[in-house]
Amino acid sequence: MISRFVIILICLLPIMAGLAGAILPASGWFAPLGRYHFSLEPVFLFLDQPAIWTSIWLSGFTALVATFISYVLAMALLARLYHNGRAGIIFRLIAPLLAVPHITVAVGFLFLLQPSGWLIRLLSPWLTGWERPPDLYLIPDAYGVGLILALIAKELPFLLLMGVSALSQIKVNDHLDHAASLGYRPYSAWLYIITPQLAKRMRLPVMIVLMFSVSVVDMALILAPSLPPPLAPRILDWFYDADLNNQFIAAVGAVVQLGLALICCVIWISSAYATGQFIRHLTYHGKRGYMPSVLVKGCRKTLFIIAILPCLISVMGLISVIIWGFANIWRFPAVLPDQWGVRAWINTADMMFVAGFNSVMIAGISALASVIIAIIWFEQSATRYHSHMEKWLYLPLLLPQASFLFGLQIFLIWLRLDGLYITLIWVHMLFVFPYVMLTLGPTWRRFDRHYTDIAATLGASKIRQLFRIKLPILLTPIMTAFAIGFSVSCALYLPTIFASNGRMITLTTEAVTLASGASRQALGVASIMQMILPLVVFLLCDAVIRWRFGRFRHFRA
Amino acid sequence: MTTTKHNTSLFSQIYMMAFGLVMVAFISIFNHDPAKADHFDDIITNAKGQTVYFNAWGGSPAINSYIDWVATRVADEYDITLVHVKLSATSDSVSRILAEKTAGKSVGGSVDLIWINGENFAAMKHNDLLRSDSWAYDLPSFGYTDPVALPGILNDFGVPTDGQEAPWGRAQFIFGYDTAYVDTPPRSAAELAAWITSHPGRFSYPKPSDFIGMSFLKQILLETSPDISLFAKPVDQSSADQALTPLWQWLDAAHPHLRQGGKHFPANYTAMIQMLGDGELSIAFAFNPAEFSNGIAQGILPDTVRSYVHDSGTLANVHFVAIPFNANAPEAAQVVANFLLSPEAQSHKAHSDIWGDPTVLAMDKLPPDMQTVFAKLPLGIATLDESSLGKTLPEFHPSWVPYIEKQWADRYTGQ
Repeated sequence: MISRFVIILICLLPIMAGLAGAILPASGWFAPLGRYHFSLEPVFLFLDQPAIWTSIWLSGFTALVATFISYVLAMALLARLYHNGRAGIIFRLIAPLLAVPHITVAVGFLFLLQPSGWLIRLLSPWLTGWERPPDLYLIPDAYGVGLILALIAKELPFLLLMGVSALSQIKVNDHLDHAASLGYRPYSAWLYIITPQLAKRMRLPVMIVLMFSVSVVDMALILAPSLPPPLAPRILDWFYDADLNNQFIAAVGAVVQLGLALICCVIWISSAYATGQFIRHLTYHGKRGYMPSVLVKGCRKTLFIIAILPCLISVMGLISVIIWGFANIWRFPAVLPDQWGVRAWINTADMMFVAGFNSVMIAGISALASVIIAIIWFEQSATRYHSHMEKWLYLPLLLPQASFLFGLQIFLIWLRLDGLYITLIWVHMLFVFPYVMLTLGPTWRRFDRHYTDIAATLGASKIRQLFRIKLPILLTPIMTAFAIGFSVSCALYLPTIFASNGRMITLTTEAVTLASGASRQALGVASIMQMILPLVVFLLCDAVIRWRFGRFRHFRA
Repeated sequence: MTTTKHNTSLFSQIYMMAFGLVMVAFISIFNHDPAKADHFDDIITNAKGQTVYFNAWGGSPAINSYIDWVATRVADEYDITLVHVKLSATSDSVSRILAEKTAGKSVGGSVDLIWINGENFAAMKHNDLLRSDSWAYDLPSFGYTDPVALPGILNDFGVPTDGQEAPWGRAQFIFGYDTAYVDTPPRSAAELAAWITSHPGRFSYPKPSDFIGMSFLKQILLETSPDISLFAKPVDQSSADQALTPLWQWLDAAHPHLRQGGKHFPANYTAMIQMLGDGELSIAFAFNPAEFSNGIAQGILPDTVRSYVHDSGTLANVHFVAIPFNANAPEAAQVVANFLLSPEAQSHKAHSDIWGDPTVLAMDKLPPDMQTVFAKLPLGIATLDESSLGKTLPEFHPSWVPYIEKQWADRYTGQ
């Protein structure tokens, strides 16, 4: 019990400090700059920023639309998956995207869709007649469509993963059989009976997606409009500005982002409630929901196209990223490089080594520590199925990042903790730990206690039960949780720059810096490294599992 | 009130000019003082075995390997260990030195030598973070410079250097165009405006938050303003708005014909150079005369790109090295600064294969054999020679940068 309190405290203290560190300067009180009185001046300064409402609107709009589309697609694909046992090509495209960092997907979009990108190269000049890149910008577009598509490409895999895990907790077949015996077609049965149960279990993941989308910085820097950009990148701009007075504006921005997140939540929850009521209404009236098969097929096709578009762009983009990493010279409109080579790898070797080393260390340690703490947590809370305390652990994912990271940094500087390795790992763990809990929780709690009970009757202590029985049996989910924790840490941008005061470089911070315009080859190299790292970890985990279970292979049917 | 303020700034201008003239006279007298050479020999002796932490922007492989070369040379010649602390932004070091001063650390600081100019120099000088005994004038190599021909050596963005920083290199605003698409490049702001209108979508400039983007706005202002003396002084709120009017007129006319209709701008100049390489743009610009030759050598630009300047001259400035007040190895830092300014290091730096950064030395002050070395330096295929670079225009006082940036954002954000 005490250890759980400590864990909660370690997670929540920085958040509380961070929120205070944003709210106080936003109301004019900022000791480091010698301001000891409260005023509304920062708020007026904030409102005085050019086109500030456009920024706020852009953040809210892209977040809600991206989350809505990802959610609907995930729910529909889960239904398809269940009926077919597989959803074919979509799943094969989607699964690898889970491990690719957000910024890498965004770079892929850029390399594919910009006027001199691979898409136009593939079509020019034989089809388009363009010898020079046209003044045709697919990204960034005024409404943030590029950003929305990229967010979907990253969030859909996550929601599917969470959905598959949630489905395993529902007795789907029983419900469907009952419904079928009452004359409901599979699709309406799914909608009336399974969807509400699934939706309940998906609440947390969806809120995480919504909050992430509201506060996304790295993807927005590349894919969103820049005059003005969405709110989150603007907060970063004010924060970095040489004029220290802009710190107040950044603080107000952080608080406004919190408010915007709240509004988005309210919009989401009330529309979800209305939809739920509508489905309930249909259910009460016993509507069997007949749809002509042409329409069913049409829906399926549309669904397939909407789902595949973002994934296809991502995969094509990632391929063009890899090509750029090995292109010494690649002129427009050549489809492939004029001169292949590894010059970019040689030129950037020093920097990539440092950044890669930092990424591996921070991600490895924070993922390992998170898995250990998660196991301690589960073992302590095994007696009570749903712990109220556990909800608090997800708070870092349920608040927009900039809203508390900005204030947290002020405290870290004040305590002289900024820029330390240990601080960075701690801040990363705020985000890694909840994801590890999300991945590991369901399987850990479904563990068949008969095994440990038998061990107990043979006189094994709790610790011995854990090490000899539970950990070996649960090795696969533990390894998966570690790998996911690792890739979450690798992808973190804002937490890294705020916790290190911008002084520590990782592959993600390098990629964001390079993405602003330096050599595409160097950006390609950084992005390839970002794809490889999580992949290597996933493969290593897989190898460990194979090696460990290799001796049981004869037991397979 | 306003009148008084105006008078003050006028007097300070006169004072500054007088001071500069006295300094020049002072320097030319002491240049040939044998006592100074002895004095510097003592410094060289004391510097033996010291380690110099040189804090310099580390974003360019070419510059980094040049600094590596300097490290080898000063190790051989003076037994000094030079460590290049690669910065992503010079302001990082400035704030670190400020923190050291706040913490009372007046000796044994973490920075011995810092690459600096403009805003950062003004901030460091203002906060007394620099070694202030006008050491730079005492460097033997300083005798090869000519502050009359290149006033930027004594005046860094309108702020007198007072010998608190030693010149290292020179930058000049330079345009580049792709001969595949442009026959005769426009050679003035007015011609450029006409060219943009007749070639829509083929010109853009980096956002003013980027140094080169801001420099472009300055260049346009210098060419379109009736009175450019205003920009050498700190921003005066009463006249500043009027002073910027020609710039806004020029931009308002040009923006609809820029790439993406002036709704989106490259984040920085490297992105713009890349766009020139892709053929998206026909004209781009940079702040290093060797930029376009380097781009061709690296394969970023096609070999059809050439450089040009505007007839009325282009913006130019000098970059420096300075020694913080609490440097741990001040003698060795002076020896390194002197080596950086030596004809040997300067000619190596000016070589287009090495870095291509123009020298701050005056050719007529050099011994004949060194003049030959400079004359024989190969020019890149797209690099202009000294005489074709034309006239230089003065830099703005640092206070103009945030002012113009804010006005620009207010005008063009969310349009």
